[in-house]
Amino acid sequence: MTVTREYYFEDIEVGKVLETPAITITEAHVAMFTGLSEVRVSEPHAVQDLLPLCLSSGLGWRIPQPPTVILAFMGFDWSFMKPVRVGDTIRSSSRTVAKRLIKEGGVVIEDRRILNQRGEIIQAGKLTLLVARRPAE
Amino acid sequence: MDPEPGIGFEDLRLGDEFRSPGRTITETDIVLFAGLSGDYNVIHTDAEHMKSSLFGERIAHGLLVLSIQQGLLERAMPSRARESCVGLKWKFKGPVKIGDTLHVRARISAKQDTDKPDWGLVTVEREVVNQLGDVVQAGETQHLVGRRTS
Repeated sequence: MTVTREYYFEDIEVGKVLETPAITITEAHVAMFTGLSEVRVSEPHAVQDLLPLCLSSGLGWRIPQPPTVILAFMGFDWSFMKPVRVGDTIRSSSRTVAKRLIKEGGVVIEDRRILNQRGEIIQAGKLTLLVARRPAE
Repeated sequence: MDPEPGIGFEDLRLGDEFRSPGRTITETDIVLFAGLSGDYNVIHTDAEHMKSSLFGERIAHGLLVLSIQQGLLERAMPSRARESCVGLKWKFKGPVKIGDTLHVRARISAKQDTDKPDWGLVTVEREVVNQLGDVVQAGETQHLVGRRTS
């Protein structure tokens, strides 16, 4: 028997909600993000707008299921609702809202929300991903 | 703490254009971003696997390039005294590989009043361009910018 090690386009269920583990944003995250991107913060304990989104991509890989074979990130439409501060603990909740086949693979549209420790939505939007089709046996 | 000196909504003009300095994307950038974000997808981290892929080699995380373009453009645009980013529409159009050199072209494409009298909404159109002149990412960001307090 072969154990499935990866999720393909065919395995993605429309409507299924995936909840990630949480991560506390620290001064170290903010400093490392500044070093890498040069995006600075204007006041103590502030967090760059893009940092929670970047961390949510890593949180997605920590869901206990085989990793999805993502070929490319195609685009997204994103809203920033509430500021995030150092010490906040964020998690992400996502749901596939549509999938369709194109020549290069499968296009998957995902609704993602990033929430803080009080359950407030801090950022949310739609992401479009290109996912590999299951290879022929 | 006094706010940083910077410009207000009135000082940004519709159609103003900005061009950032360039930056070469290195393997180090990709390794550090994988460590920071926790996104170790093989497309960014497994050189052997990627030899037989669509791209032929590892590619930079889309969100790494998005973050770097934000930093590059901040070097080229005047800093706003009070600002928050409220929206982002973005397309990843082509891969960014180790050794590619990127710069950002940006333009103020809209200015609107908001229901808060001391804040306006500014839309910035952006294109991330590589050394061959190809647009690898493009989109627009929306910012609430404070008006000058007189």
